[in-house]
Amino acid sequence: MDEYGDYLFKFALLRLRDEARAADAVQETFLAALRGRKAFAGRSSEKSWLTSILKNKIYDHFRQSSRETTFTDLEFFDQEEGEGFVPEGLGQGGWIHEQGPQEWAKAGESLDNELFWKTYRDCASRLPDKVAAVFNLREVDGVDSREICTLLNVSESNLWVMLHRARMALRQCLEANWFGKQVPARKR
Amino acid sequence: MSLWKTFTQNCAALSLNCREASRAQSDALEAPLPPAKRVGLWIHLLLCKWCRRYGRQLRLLHCAAHEHAAQLAETGPEKLPADARARIKQRLQEEQDTNSTN
Repeated sequence: MDEYGDYLFKFALLRLRDEARAADAVQETFLAALRGRKAFAGRSSEKSWLTSILKNKIYDHFRQSSRETTFTDLEFFDQEEGEGFVPEGLGQGGWIHEQGPQEWAKAGESLDNELFWKTYRDCASRLPDKVAAVFNLREVDGVDSREICTLLNVSESNLWVMLHRARMALRQCLEANWFGKQVPARKR
Repeated sequence: MSLWKTFTQNCAALSLNCREASRAQSDALEAPLPPAKRVGLWIHLLLCKWCRRYGRQLRLLHCAAHEHAAQLAETGPEKLPADARARIKQRLQEEQDTNSTN
């Protein structure tokens, strides 16, 4: 508990976005681990074993708490999603050039930069809870789409819409606040 | 001449626009696109550098999401709050005591 408490707490916090819920999940995890320690019998590393218990506790939480999908979750980025594109007439549906994806110079290197991660965190925090949950479950934990639908009580079409908008919103936020502000090396 | 014109006109008709293509690139990460859409996206990406960039950036976003989660869990500053830690320890102790008396 001393060794993995903080790690598990942080793991849960990213996904549950609430300190109290994360702490509860950690408690449930250690209790389950205590009860099931004979079954563990050193099969994998302790850390990954505890993490997989925690994942299940997190999924239990999602199952129990996802009664309906809120207006906010479904409407998130609905308007903005269309704003980057020519609305009608010639070139309808095309990127309005100033709004279109810009070149991200040396994008990979940004992933080594602490300030980038701060920007990422800020951008990610703007996603409404269910949208964020959908994004994390799919992109980070690689949970199957159909399973996410069951866990979060969303239809598959709503799931895909939320994923699309989450990706678009994050991309736009990162471009506006980070990649669009990087000075390409050759200009110096 | 007219065969080429017919061909390019058909391509243009099949092609998605950028708005459709960004949605399609996201959906393609979830499940194989239906054939017409797959062709339409492919044609569009041949012609549109903006949407090609969009696709690259979606892939980078996927890496960033992973990396962010890993970093947060390993090196993030948050700690299990002291009161929660104490409560959990007590609960675990109670559990152990219950088991040892049974």
